[in-house]
Amino acid sequence: MATYVLLALLPIVAVVALMQSRRLSAIIGMGLFSFLLAAVYLVMHAPDVAITEATMGAALVTAIYVLAIRRTGRLTVVADEVPGLLAREGERVVGLEYDILHGFAISQGLDLSVSFVPLRRVRWLVAHGEADIGAGGIVPLSGIVDTLHATPGHLETGVYAFDTRELSRSPELAPDYEGYFSELRAKAHDGRLPSSITSLDLARVLALSRGAPLDGLDRQDGRHAYAFLVHQDRSDLQRDLARYVESLRGSGELDALIERHVR
Amino acid sequence: MSARVRCIVCSVGIVAVFVVLLSFTYMMSMPNFTDSERYLSIPIEASGASNRVAGIYLNTRLFDTLIEILVFSVAVLGVRYYLRHSPKVTLPRLSESAVVRTAAGILGPLALLLSAYFAVLGHLSPGGGFAAGVIAASAVLYVAIAQGMAATEARFSPQRIAAAEKGILLLLFVWVLLPLAFGEAPLSELLPPGTPGRLLSAGSILPYNLLISVKVFFGAWLIIAAFAQHRGDL
Repeated sequence: MATYVLLALLPIVAVVALMQSRRLSAIIGMGLFSFLLAAVYLVMHAPDVAITEATMGAALVTAIYVLAIRRTGRLTVVADEVPGLLAREGERVVGLEYDILHGFAISQGLDLSVSFVPLRRVRWLVAHGEADIGAGGIVPLSGIVDTLHATPGHLETGVYAFDTRELSRSPELAPDYEGYFSELRAKAHDGRLPSSITSLDLARVLALSRGAPLDGLDRQDGRHAYAFLVHQDRSDLQRDLARYVESLRGSGELDALIERHVR
Repeated sequence: MSARVRCIVCSVGIVAVFVVLLSFTYMMSMPNFTDSERYLSIPIEASGASNRVAGIYLNTRLFDTLIEILVFSVAVLGVRYYLRHSPKVTLPRLSESAVVRTAAGILGPLALLLSAYFAVLGHLSPGGGFAAGVIAASAVLYVAIAQGMAATEARFSPQRIAAAEKGILLLLFVWVLLPLAFGEAPLSELLPPGTPGRLLSAGSILPYNLLISVKVFFGAWLIIAAFAQHRGDL
């Protein structure tokens, strides 16, 4: 009886695995199929074959498939850590941009993977095709490389002229974000701050000053907004992401997310 | 053809194949078991292995097993060759959650113990070199999840292991051809079968199981390491 039940389950599990839109779910379904097959062998008094099927099919092959799809079935995001937008909170990643990207990844049937890197590395990684999307308080300014395109802004911000003396004078600033500005601060301290870093966006100013006003910061004219970066060859991704953000805006969900994370 | 239609067509195909196979099995009369009966009629004392399956695939059908091992080695070579030109993953990523890391750290040594059990007692009870090798590779994968790929690779360097894997393959083939040097036919038993049920019994089956387990472990680890390096870190 058990044999017939297991045999009947085999095609059902195979079809369920095949119908999954997420690759990871399909792989787990295949692993389950292998386990059922191992159980069939076991009830048919073939424990050696059952052990081999379980170890090969359910363990090794599943592990190899998971590794193989790590970069194909996922949306790879590289980001500078910006509290409120995209930041670690214990083991979790939270923030406005995280919620947007998480929802977008689900809508595309992909698994979201976020890696935190310094800001200048974000642009390099996206420009060299190592990541799909650059995020973490990106304000598209003239400094953006030609190979990168920005999606329409999802949150308005201000850009402030940056006074290098302010950082070198206050190394104790923002103790909660150790490492967040460490590179920037060390360079400012040595007087080697690159000339390209002449301005900061609102989120970074707030994080750096911890809400207290910083002297020597002048808000620059013009309207600026945070956006996501994609490679110029990924126009489909840029279009889909822009459409998704627009749909969030249209349904009022974007305002709710901004209210929850930023205000 | 859209993805959904393809899915439905494939699903119907799978179900159809199963139905045909089941019907075919029912329609068939009892198959001729002459060959299997011949293998089962060989007394356990001939190979010395209490586990009859091990006695068949590492004794009377040893040639098939050797070709299987060779096929596995070719698969390892293929994976390493085709992934060699693929760029290495440079992205840092968030480590696995504390629950996964802790669980992997506990499961790794347990899996290694199970692997050793299957390899050493494969001639007495269900198990054997193949299963033991794959379990050992899974154990190292758990260690890699718990401690990170870089630390694990430092201990199990793919370059050194690749050389050792080929060395063990050579050793296996030398072992089965060694009887020629003593004027015997190849695949003849070098060691006595001993008393079935004893740990040191079953002639060459125990050394075969040990060699195969290490060989499969190295091969499986090489495949995992290659995918981890080129398709996504751990």
